[in-house]
Amino acid sequence: MSRPPATSEDVDPAEWRRRALEAEARLVEADELLHAIQSGDVDAVVVGGPGETQVYTLENADRPYRVLIEQMQEGAVTVSGDGTVLYCNQRLAALLGQPRERVVGELLTDYIPARHRAPIARLIATCGTSGGKAEAAIVDATGRSIAVLFSFVELPPEGGSRMLCGIVTDLTEQKAHTAEISAANVRLTEEIVERERVEDALRQAQKMEAIGQLTGGVAHDFNNLLTIIRSSADLLRRHELTDEKRRRYIDAISDTADRAARLTGQLLAFARRQALKPETFDASVRVDQVTDMLRTVVGSRVQVTTEMRCGSCFVLADPSQFETALVNMVVNARDAMDGEGTLAITVDRAAQIPGAVITDGEAFVTIAISDTGCGIPADQIERIFEPFFTSKEVGKGTGLGLSQVYGFAKQSGGEVRVSSEVGRGTTFTVYLPEKEMEEAIPAAPRVPRPVRAGEHARVLIVEDNAQVGEFASSLLTDLGFDTTLATDAAAALASIDGAAQPFDIVFSDVIMPGMSGIELARLLRERHPDLKIVLTSGYSQVLAQEGTHGFDLLHKPYSVEGLSHILRDALAS
Amino acid sequence: MSQERAEPHYVLRLYITGSTTRSTRAIENLRRICEQHLPGRYDIEIIDIYTDPEAARDGQVIAAPTLVRIEPEPPRRIIGDLADEDRVVLGLELPRA
Repeated sequence: MSRPPATSEDVDPAEWRRRALEAEARLVEADELLHAIQSGDVDAVVVGGPGETQVYTLENADRPYRVLIEQMQEGAVTVSGDGTVLYCNQRLAALLGQPRERVVGELLTDYIPARHRAPIARLIATCGTSGGKAEAAIVDATGRSIAVLFSFVELPPEGGSRMLCGIVTDLTEQKAHTAEISAANVRLTEEIVERERVEDALRQAQKMEAIGQLTGGVAHDFNNLLTIIRSSADLLRRHELTDEKRRRYIDAISDTADRAARLTGQLLAFARRQALKPETFDASVRVDQVTDMLRTVVGSRVQVTTEMRCGSCFVLADPSQFETALVNMVVNARDAMDGEGTLAITVDRAAQIPGAVITDGEAFVTIAISDTGCGIPADQIERIFEPFFTSKEVGKGTGLGLSQVYGFAKQSGGEVRVSSEVGRGTTFTVYLPEKEMEEAIPAAPRVPRPVRAGEHARVLIVEDNAQVGEFASSLLTDLGFDTTLATDAAAALASIDGAAQPFDIVFSDVIMPGMSGIELARLLRERHPDLKIVLTSGYSQVLAQEGTHGFDLLHKPYSVEGLSHILRDALAS
Repeated sequence: MSQERAEPHYVLRLYITGSTTRSTRAIENLRRICEQHLPGRYDIEIIDIYTDPEAARDGQVIAAPTLVRIEPEPPRRIIGDLADEDRVVLGLELPRA
């Protein structure tokens, strides 16, 4: 079917002319090729053999590096100063979803979404030989945007035109990891909050159990104290009393009331809900302060002895937790002794915790509670600190007590150790790291001052409890004050507004129906800045939460001396 | 047909050796020349003979860089970094811009 070879006869002159031009062009090409090779204007020559084709590089061979660049899992690219892709490795072509032949020769910015183009163009223009990086994105053949990091460095100038090398790192996985990590972080934070809430609830439950134990004891003790006060009052009614006896009964009433006040004070301090707030305190002093309360817990048939062997020994712990731990250990001891025996509380020092890694130089304060009770069987001793482990009957104990002791000791950087002998007794020892005494501020010694006459200062007493109001009124009248009584804040305001002679001072209860004492005080401070105000309260929860707002506060129950002094100080200020 | 005759579409194939200076210069020069003389009617294929030596043999390429005009026929070859624009325009029979 092919045309017979043309002969000179049937070839027209035009065809001859075309063939001649073609031959000439080929000759020129061959000439140029030879010339280029001779003058070194080529990089490589291709030599075909019977086997495979070989490429002979004429410049310095850069093959090992090329293999490295080709194989690596980062996109590699070289671009000219205007951003034309001169080379791209397989990885970058794969990222772009394009054959390399298409990518090379294109502008790199053609693969970058419009909003990232300017920063990358700027990076290419300005990165220089020290290099620079920028996060951006590339768009692959399917139009998908891929987050990448561009890192460019300009090659040292060679023959005029600028050239840059770049690495393109796919950030997809990294971004996913970051997202995962931040999601995990959010979950963790939530779990921490939940855990803190649960721990808070557990601490509260532990404390409530201790308070339950305490109130039983305190109520019993209170009845005894009231009995003393009641019988002393009855005795005072009798006419044929010597002055000496009268004074003895009055002293008994006064002392007993003091004791009762101390007990309720401890109970209130104990019950006040507090976040864990470590402070440095003297363990001996603190144990001493709560011993009265602890006695009420164990009952009268248990003899409580205390021994402070270490003098001042400071620890850093939450005082409320410290007291709770003491109560829990004492309750445990009481139950082990079945209500009868001897309980010894010893505060001492120890150079180390038995069985613990020796830490250099750290000393410990020990608080040991020993009982003469039934002891703990060896097979149970491992478990006594587990929450809800209890050997007691249902309803007698929740099993939270000793777990609180354990938790407290650990949290405070210490330990708790127990030694026990069945039938002889048990000793719990809490070890707490001893701390340097902080700026010990000795409580200013209270200088008893004589009760002085009121010099007819006008006092408005605001008190919703009629009996307490009458009592305060007669007390202040006896002290020489001129008193008026109001049963709530509204009545007080009416009295103040309607008074013929202005009041010098208002003495008000805090917790009252209607407007509270604090609200009243604030209102008066606004309307009558010169009027002195003293507040009084038996339960200072409100004040603990909000503070006294700068007003003087007298704790109930108060003594005549205390009342007289605070009013006089307020009047003098 | 007449339009095609007036403005033929160019398919150009450049054989290079990786990112050597001369190869990269050839790419830049080619791009610049095409944009100037053939805006909108050219395709460039760049073939790295390091990664595809067989392509060089098939294209009867003996040295690199070599630019081959595939279309319009007949094929034309230019050796070197294409720095001499006049030579490229002449060799590829490009319309003068």
